[in-house]
Amino acid sequence: MKSPSDIDMDCARAWDAMPWVLQHSATPALDEWLTQHLAQCASCRAEFAQQSRLRRALSLPSDIPLDANAGLRRLLARVDAPDTEEISRRSRPPSWLTRALVAAVLVQALGIGVLGAKLWLESAHPAYRTLSQNVMPAPAGAIHVVPDESMKVAEWNALLHSLHLQVVGGPNDVGAYTVVPAGAAATSNDILQKLRGTQGIRLAEPVAVTQ
Amino acid sequence: MNDADIDADATDRILLQRMASGDRTALAVLYRSYHGRLCRFLSRLTRRADVIEEVINDCLWITWQKAGSFHGDSRVSTWIIGIAYRCGLKALRQHGDEPMEDDALSEDRFLSHNPDEDRELRDWLAKGLNRLSTDQRVVIELVYGLGHTLDDVAVIMQCPVGTVKARLFHARVKLRNTLPLLAGESPMRNESAS
Repeated sequence: MKSPSDIDMDCARAWDAMPWVLQHSATPALDEWLTQHLAQCASCRAEFAQQSRLRRALSLPSDIPLDANAGLRRLLARVDAPDTEEISRRSRPPSWLTRALVAAVLVQALGIGVLGAKLWLESAHPAYRTLSQNVMPAPAGAIHVVPDESMKVAEWNALLHSLHLQVVGGPNDVGAYTVVPAGAAATSNDILQKLRGTQGIRLAEPVAVTQ
Repeated sequence: MNDADIDADATDRILLQRMASGDRTALAVLYRSYHGRLCRFLSRLTRRADVIEEVINDCLWITWQKAGSFHGDSRVSTWIIGIAYRCGLKALRQHGDEPMEDDALSEDRFLSHNPDEDRELRDWLAKGLNRLSTDQRVVIELVYGLGHTLDDVAVIMQCPVGTVKARLFHARVKLRNTLPLLAGESPMRNESAS
């Protein structure tokens, strides 16, 4: 005599076997076993009867009225005119989604172009400068000059005048002026020598040309 | 696979070979052979006749175009039903799955072609299937209606066999609990079976 757990296991096996026995794909041994189990299990017998009814119902022809001949004629026409269909498919206007995506890309490209142009213009004439940026390039022949604190303005002016120099920048934080030769009367080296030899000038150095 | 299935598959393979070489007669034979089962299978996805006809033609159009690339990894019927399933899902996404108002049309068809028993059986089945999800309806149709194995269904639905087993199990439990009630009987015991 079988225990309740064995019976449950048999019912589970019967449950698994039913679809394949019904579609005649189960092995003969499984088919035979299920027949024996159904003979002694009313619950599985009821389940199998319902499964058989389900299979019978699903085997009925479709109730959707479709004319196979008309469908075949349409398919053969499609086979005969594949190129025409392909051409019409290619020439079909793009969907609204495609159009919207193209429009979005164009708007983005336009915006990026405008922003780029604006940034380029701003970089040509920067409104401010950070400490990490290079200083504005000094004119050719520029010299940094640091006069002594004791030097009088009149003496400074006289010196600039005698050497034909013009102040273009400064004084900066360390008191240096940037001067450039106003004419081509003397070379930068001559001017440097004269500046360095002048009393009251603490420092005179050419400005390194930066790019 | 029984002898009848083996013979049918061999015939289908010959038809595919002929189709690959451009034989339109072979296409017509295959079309007539599959029209009924495709129609019934697709009617589990949608009740719209126009969508079903469109999907059948799309499916066999693809079959015609790819006949030469069929490698024989599965039965021809598994391959074709798989194409129909994917075309059906695509059509549902495009058209929606709302049923067409064809009740009157179907009613006439019942009266003229089906005995009362069939009509009652269809009604019982329709009410049961309405309680299932689309995936569960498809699995039930593939196993009980078209006679595919679990492996076949996994190929058709492009999912693991375990997923197919789970869908079949839950569909059967749901039908076991609802179909007797629909037939005016008391439901069977409701313990889980696996």
